Amino acid sequence: MTNLIETRDLCRTFGSEETKVTALDHVSINIEQGEFTAIIGPSGSGKTTLLHLIGGLDEPNSGSVTLSGSNIADMSGNQLSDFRRDHIGFIFQAYNLIPVLSAEENIEYIMLLQGISAAERKKRVKEMLELVELDGLGDRRPSHLSGGQQQRVAVARAMASKPDIILADEPTANLDSKTGISLLDVMRDLNQKRKMTFVFSTHDEKIMDRATRLIYLRDGKVERDERK
Amino acid sequence: MLTFQIAFRNILRQKRRSLLTGLSMTGGYVLFVFGFSLLEGSYGNIIDIFTLDSTGHIQIHQDDYRDRPKIYKTIQNQEQIKVALTDNPEIKSFTPRVFSPALAYAGDKTAPSRIIGIDPVLEPTVSRLVQKVAKGTYFSTSPNPDGYYEAMIGRGLHIRLKLDVGDELVLISSGADGSIANDIFVVSAIIGNKTSFDRMAVYLPLVAAQEFLSLGDDVHEYALLVNDKDANETIARGLSAQLSELTVAPWQEVEATFYRTMQADKQGNYFSMGLITFIVFIGVLNTVLMSVLERTREFGVLRAIGSRPMQLVRLISLETFILAFISVMVGFLLILPFVYWFAEVGMLMPEPIDMGGIEFQHLKGEMSARVFWIPMAFILGTAVLISIPPGFRAARILPKEAMGSH
Ligand SMILES: Nc1ncnc2c1ncn2[C@@H]1O[C@H](COP(=O)(O)OP(=O)(O)O)[C@@H](O)[C@H]1O
Ligand SMILES: [Mg+2]
Repeated sequence: MTNLIETRDLCRTFGSEETKVTALDHVSINIEQGEFTAIIGPSGSGKTTLLHLIGGLDEPNSGSVTLSGSNIADMSGNQLSDFRRDHIGFIFQAYNLIPVLSAEENIEYIMLLQGISAAERKKRVKEMLELVELDGLGDRRPSHLSGGQQQRVAVARAMASKPDIILADEPTANLDSKTGISLLDVMRDLNQKRKMTFVFSTHDEKIMDRATRLIYLRDGKVERDERK
Repeated sequence: MLTFQIAFRNILRQKRRSLLTGLSMTGGYVLFVFGFSLLEGSYGNIIDIFTLDSTGHIQIHQDDYRDRPKIYKTIQNQEQIKVALTDNPEIKSFTPRVFSPALAYAGDKTAPSRIIGIDPVLEPTVSRLVQKVAKGTYFSTSPNPDGYYEAMIGRGLHIRLKLDVGDELVLISSGADGSIANDIFVVSAIIGNKTSFDRMAVYLPLVAAQEFLSLGDDVHEYALLVNDKDANETIARGLSAQLSELTVAPWQEVEATFYRTMQADKQGNYFSMGLITFIVFIGVLNTVLMSVLERTREFGVLRAIGSRPMQLVRLISLETFILAFISVMVGFLLILPFVYWFAEVGMLMPEPIDMGGIEFQHLKGEMSARVFWIPMAFILGTAVLISIPPGFRAARILPKEAMGSH
């Protein structure tokens, strides 16, 4: 197995001198291709910060993030935008679909950014909707979908660009536990059938059970790291 | 185009706000077009009054006759010039003229005057002289049964010399050959009013004037009208090259002072119209900025999933452009009938208005492509320009704004 993500001595602090908060404190982890990783920890333990740094949405104070062999810290501007577009899929806690676009169009948009042909886009949209079991709901706007359905569209959107890895920050936090578990099952399915690598954060016990790898964070440090 | 759809649907999303912004742009456009049309129409009106009174669109002289008129600075070779002017499809009509100062006598009264020799048939194709006949009848080329040629005199002479239609008038001047010229003419008409430029003029039939001044076949001036009066400067340049031994000048040069005053006046008016439109756009800027700030998270998402900052700038510009375009189109349909009516019928003002020293009372608009498209280009251009700062604001939104629970 190859290392897809490698973080080395990641440190991230917020604020200055007196109000300084250390969100991440020398975090070094490796995540391999095909893993289904949960980052676990109480609120304020640094989960979001870690996902930001891995996804190139934020810059560390020190340390490095290597994704598929490229050092994200070395990139900037458009390079980083393009890298996110082509290599990383995101799922957000609050779904964050584009409200004026239908489910299909939300999935299509990222492929448009990638310059994928119309025919290929259509084909993949259909395929993705089937994968997340939403066939037939493609023409609905987000406001006409339930939370669970919206989050599945978000999963489909993340998958559509064929990224190396999908990062999800508390993807089930806004869902009731039954819907949350079924979303996790969809993700797990994609992980197994499509060999998609997932890293998601959670503090929900039932969700953790589905993971194959558990990284426990506390006060910005890795407390425990176990594979099942 | 998905970007186009996003932009378009974002406009529909905040219906009331888009409506208000759109209406303010429609209002700006309508005002701009209407003001522009009336302004151009009025100037067109003034230019017509000015050029059709006597100047014409283009004048031809020998050498510097215009600045230093001397009786011997004449245009010869009439046939050659007439052929050149007749063959030019851009020239609508032309008329030859001769001029000379003269002393006018009637009974025991005398007054300095100016002879203007005109072709009675060609002159009405260029100027409104016929319409300016206030009393009597427009003259003909042939002498009357007693052998006297007819003359038409300005209102000023009519008053100074107590001279009326049917009376005899004696003119004394010097001929081109140095001889003393004097002859008797019969007044056939009184021309214009006390403020007309020709209030002290004596109009004579061209042949009579040429004979009186011993000019032979020569003339001092050709005044001409062109079909496309906006192109008169270009046409004048072409003619100048063709008639290289003569001096050809568009009316803008002939009446340079008037033209400069008018241009300055015009620029002032354009500036105020531009300013009004710009003020409208301060409101538009505010709306666009507000809508960007409200959508911070959305832009964060777009950035997170890989949109480049410039793509967001383009999206905002496109949204503003689409709204401006719709507004302008609505404005176009609204204002079209008004502009048409003002151009075709116009309005009679209760008081005459003074523009560039010329009074006129009939307010008319201009109906032309530029009256619509210049304000259109201005509004659309300003809309795009105004959307750039909010666009950059959106582009600066950090992708991590997309995360978190709020
Ligand atoms: N933008 C920020 N400014 C200041 N402090 C922050 C910021 N983001 C996170 N933090 C702090 O960093 C720590 C880790 O936060 P976070 O990564 O959001 O934790 P989690 O996602 O596990 O709840 C917290 O103490 C939080 O208050
Ligand atoms: Mg968090």
